[in-house]
Amino acid sequence: MIGGSNRIALLAVPGLAFLAVVYALPLALLLFKSLQGANGLTLVTYIDFFSDEFNRVVLWRTLRVALLTTLLALVIAYPTAFAMARAKGIWLTVFLVALVLPMSLGVIVKAFAWSILFRSNGFINTSLQALGITDEPVRMLFTETALIIGAANVFLPFMVLPIYSVIRQLDSSLPEAASSLGATPWFRFTRVTLPLTLPGVVAGSAFTFSLAISMYVIPSLIVGERQQTLSMLIARSFFYLRDEPLGSTISAILLAIAIFVVLFSSWLAGRLGARQ
Amino acid sequence: MIDKVTDQPVQARRYLDVAGVAKSFKGTVIMDRMNFRVAKGELVSLLGPSGCGKTTLLRIIAGLLEADTGAIVLGGRNITSLPAHRRNISVVFQNYALFPHLTVAENVAFGLRARGMTKADARAPVAETLALVRMEAFADRPVAGLSGGQQQRVAVARALVVSPDLLLLDEPFSALDRKLRETMQIELKALLRSRNITAIFVTHDQEEAMGVSDRIAVMNSGKIEQFAEPSTLYARPASPFVMDFVGLSTRLSGRVTAQADGIVTVQTTAGALRAHGDYPQGTAVQVGVRPELIDPEPTAGMNRINVQLDDVMTLGSKTVLHGVATGEDQFLCELSGIRTDFTRGATVTWGWSVADTLIHARPT
Repeated sequence: MIGGSNRIALLAVPGLAFLAVVYALPLALLLFKSLQGANGLTLVTYIDFFSDEFNRVVLWRTLRVALLTTLLALVIAYPTAFAMARAKGIWLTVFLVALVLPMSLGVIVKAFAWSILFRSNGFINTSLQALGITDEPVRMLFTETALIIGAANVFLPFMVLPIYSVIRQLDSSLPEAASSLGATPWFRFTRVTLPLTLPGVVAGSAFTFSLAISMYVIPSLIVGERQQTLSMLIARSFFYLRDEPLGSTISAILLAIAIFVVLFSSWLAGRLGARQ
Repeated sequence: MIDKVTDQPVQARRYLDVAGVAKSFKGTVIMDRMNFRVAKGELVSLLGPSGCGKTTLLRIIAGLLEADTGAIVLGGRNITSLPAHRRNISVVFQNYALFPHLTVAENVAFGLRARGMTKADARAPVAETLALVRMEAFADRPVAGLSGGQQQRVAVARALVVSPDLLLLDEPFSALDRKLRETMQIELKALLRSRNITAIFVTHDQEEAMGVSDRIAVMNSGKIEQFAEPSTLYARPASPFVMDFVGLSTRLSGRVTAQADGIVTVQTTAGALRAHGDYPQGTAVQVGVRPELIDPEPTAGMNRINVQLDDVMTLGSKTVLHGVATGEDQFLCELSGIRTDFTRGATVTWGWSVADTLIHARPT
């Protein structure tokens, strides 16, 4: 006789087996490879990695770009999510389509479309020059700023949707109660609306940061080899340098950061949620 | 100027003065030039079925909804164009709307903190108000684990701690079970009286309205049908709607056949009935009587009807007889205590005094 909880555990078997084979096992092998030295296990590849100034610059850049991308996406997504939560009927559909449709377009198409807009003889530069704001074309492509803007654009839905779903569940009488108790709009926002929507902000930020820290296609297309990120270093180690221990090491570092972000955000969300 | 009825300056009866407030939504009139006055310290109910505009009026007074026209004056201050947070009107919401991320004490302190009071300064009034609603032991608990009655107490404390000029309560008892509801009504009424709070309740429950209020405004499709003391509403309903909505009654349609000395005779399907009134012959009217005013042993001069006793319901504190008259009209007769002297199926004569007969012209 199989008990109720056993039966439910049985339902998880296909998913767990799939994850074990395509996710956990290869990552474990990768981790093992990064620790494998000539005479047994060693941390030498990690020490080598961190002692190289170039690698430290790339690591810092990767973190900085991911953080700024997350912040930019958050600043744009937060008010958008409110507008969406208030939207009804056709407007809600318009919002959702506007959010989801670009995702189906793929990053490559987007990146080439941006280059038409941002390149030195592109639309923006021609406009700026025609208006006399600048004499020479401003370099916009191949910069970190362009990368952050582009990444925030691609990852925006992952920030908007979690915040949107939290706002949707927000009891509309709570802000009203705050107002009737004498709260100014600012006090109401900082003491009621913002704290109650923070779980959505945490979830959206965790999604976006995880995606941004490991992105490969977007930086490859927008900034190319000029400004490397961890993912690009990994690809280079495996494909060009054929240095599997190095590639594995960087992968393990990236994974450690991702795991930290996921654990930290679920801890934060749990703490915020526990009070509610 | 002194009011003849209350012996108080007339100005006092206009503590809250809602004048000519109207509201339409997408071309539909929800509220039609409402006039509504409440005295300082008065407990008033807005009573009506859902969609009658009572919640709309409450939200307009609170500043949560903007009226199309009209003015609202509270304590001599014109608050018509003030936003909700500057009106000093507290609201107890139907679902209590407690802040789920704050503790009980933090919820109660919210209004004081919003007014710029420091955490330390807010501590004393918060503790005092929590004690008032007997929730001091729960001060540091999150609100999520509280029962319905406890949540209501916290909501009331949160609304009162800021010393509001007016307290609005939107169906405050509807989420509570019956027994608790009655206890909370008595408690809340005593609390509001002791602090001389002016309060407006919104409710669809006539018993609740009669229990908690000094005066009741019965509302129907965006208008006030009658605004009076509970006893007046019950004994002298101003319209068929009020008669119908407040208390049970048997209603009969008929036509006035005779009129003399302030008494009209009405021909109904249950026979000829008399009532005090001044309606010309031929007027279509509706007459009615309250169940507890029907006498199963009528005396001379009463209106009389013959009914077949259909059911005898023994409800403990009262016994309700159900009778069907000729013409299929159904009558209820309510007697106090347990009565065993009635047999189902018997044909009996019931009566009630002419003065107790309610009469209204039927809208044509």
